[in-house]
Amino acid sequence: MPLLLRTHYKLAKTAIKENRTRSFLTCLGIAIGVASIILILSLMGSISNLVKTEATEIGSDLIVVRPATTKDTVTDIVEELTSANSFQKSSLALKDVRAISDVEGVAAVAPIAISTNTVISDKNTFPSVPVLGTNPDFIKVEPLTIRYGSFLGGQTEAHSVVLGHTLSLALFNTINSTVGQTVTIMGEKFMVVGVLDEVNKSINFDNIDFDNALIMDAEAMDKITGSIQIQQINIKAANTDSLPQVSSDIERALTNQKLGDQNFTVAYGDQITHPASSLFMIVSGMLTLVAAISLVVGGIGVMNIMLVSVSERNHEIGVRKAVGASSRNILMQFLFESLILSLLGGILGLILAYVLAFILSTITPFAPFISWEIILITFLTTFIVGIIFGIYPAIKAAAKNPIDSLKHYR
Amino acid sequence: MSENILIELKGLTKRYGYGDTETFALKDFDLTIKRGEFIMIMGPSGCGKTTLLDIIGLLDRATHGEYILGGENVAGISSRRQAKLRAKKIGFVFQNFNLIEDLPIIENVALPLVYTGYTKTSRLKQASRALGRFHLQEREYYYPYQLSGGQQQRVAIARAIVGSPEIILADEPTGNLDSRSSHIVMEELKSIHEEGNTIIMVTHNPSLTTYATRVINMLDGQIDTDIKTVADSNLPQPVSVKIKKRKKKSTPAIELPAKKSKKRQKSRRKK
Repeated sequence: MPLLLRTHYKLAKTAIKENRTRSFLTCLGIAIGVASIILILSLMGSISNLVKTEATEIGSDLIVVRPATTKDTVTDIVEELTSANSFQKSSLALKDVRAISDVEGVAAVAPIAISTNTVISDKNTFPSVPVLGTNPDFIKVEPLTIRYGSFLGGQTEAHSVVLGHTLSLALFNTINSTVGQTVTIMGEKFMVVGVLDEVNKSINFDNIDFDNALIMDAEAMDKITGSIQIQQINIKAANTDSLPQVSSDIERALTNQKLGDQNFTVAYGDQITHPASSLFMIVSGMLTLVAAISLVVGGIGVMNIMLVSVSERNHEIGVRKAVGASSRNILMQFLFESLILSLLGGILGLILAYVLAFILSTITPFAPFISWEIILITFLTTFIVGIIFGIYPAIKAAAKNPIDSLKHYR
Repeated sequence: MSENILIELKGLTKRYGYGDTETFALKDFDLTIKRGEFIMIMGPSGCGKTTLLDIIGLLDRATHGEYILGGENVAGISSRRQAKLRAKKIGFVFQNFNLIEDLPIIENVALPLVYTGYTKTSRLKQASRALGRFHLQEREYYYPYQLSGGQQQRVAIARAIVGSPEIILADEPTGNLDSRSSHIVMEELKSIHEEGNTIIMVTHNPSLTTYATRVINMLDGQIDTDIKTVADSNLPQPVSVKIKKRKKKSTPAIELPAKKSKKRQKSRRKK
């Protein structure tokens, strides 16, 4: 039995051409679904790329210690995200930082303890400012540049703070004369010793928006808040090659420090971006699911149009069967048509997604990231949609009785 | 001449509905058709003429009974095999022409060849040749609506013969035509018959029976009268068609050996 692919293709092309508007609108349904899926995937791809490149920018000599063990399964991550107390349970403490600094091959150790506080200047009051508690080593670990003044350190460290670029503007309406001013946090007065240069990267593996943050000494923070929770300890190794060795030394030192309790994770290289990637994976998964619903709606549009097409071409089906077309030939003819409709929708969606991604890239820091995998997924999805939503009309067409169909005279 | 039997129907019954609504379109219908016959089936409306034609054309199935086509019992074959036989052995001509409006007439004519595995070029060549025979060659790329009724019916006949089927089934082919066009169409059918094709035609017009070699009158799903006007020995035999077929098949390259051998077998059978 000949497959007649070329004939079916030609027939489908003719049928689609003859009903241009109808076909275009059907394709548009698929295209919107496909475009939203691609857009979400590409945005998520670009975000996780952003995080990854940042980690490599920081350098390959970075080791990160995080509380608890790495979350691998989706349930674990969701649990971590939804648990309100996850940060309160942090198992890291300042003495762990000191223990790590004693490990051989460690060049710098900086804890990261974030809390949200109200910051008051003589001009403005700002609630919910992310306050980062760390130590002078932080500037060695993190690629931050000081615009004015200096970083933490020196005699007055306990009463010094460094402001993010945007926060400085917000508190004092300026950046160049901020150094030397005082801010009040929880009743304690602190002097601004430095202002950071603009970072403009709200997404990074530390989960800190440096432009809006206030950086202060971790000990001082411990004092004013009563207790601090260290979310992460960033370590710079003295030598890149010794990274595995240093990280296992750190692990051992911490285990000793905690009397054998292994409630922390030491990560370096690609593992650093893991929590961020997993989070984005979940979010992108959820969003894709929502977008998939619009694709299903598009698919129903294809089915609807194919059903109309089948009933319109009832007579043609009868004639074709009378001259020797088998049910399978008819089935293939209509299946092919729905496949082509949905593939056309896929192509249209791909173009739409590219255009939208381009527009988005001009207004957001995300560069659209469309990989060949995404394109492959698109075509596979549209192919599957074409088959799933085309098979019923095609079966209906194939099952038509030629005698009855021939009576359907247009 | 027994080997010259093309179609044999034995005890064919077609029932519609059940119980109280049960009606018989055909009842214990027996018919033997020889190669080269031109049969006209007449009878009042609802006597089962069209049902008979549909069953012979493998578009419909009998409720029970035997149908032997070219030595093969086709009563219980799969619908796929039915389609294959329709494509190869049977050509249909309908009262309302049944052309596909969206296709130019050359593609309408080439339609049966689509399902027998010809390449597009050879399909169009054969269709063009068939149209040429009915003097429609200049209108190959016209659409059906651009032609008159008589021309459309000639296109339909061209479609019926393009695959060189043995049997042409015509269901009131002149029913929608004026007398002049009817005459032209009947002359075309006559010339096809003279080449040895078997034609079974349903008609209401008694004046057309002059073209037939056999006239069957049906009544209530059974044969009422069956009159042969030409002796079996005088029936045109498909010899000339065979020569023509061979000539025809000299163009397509791949099908050539297989079809030739089939034809050889057939002619051997006849001897």
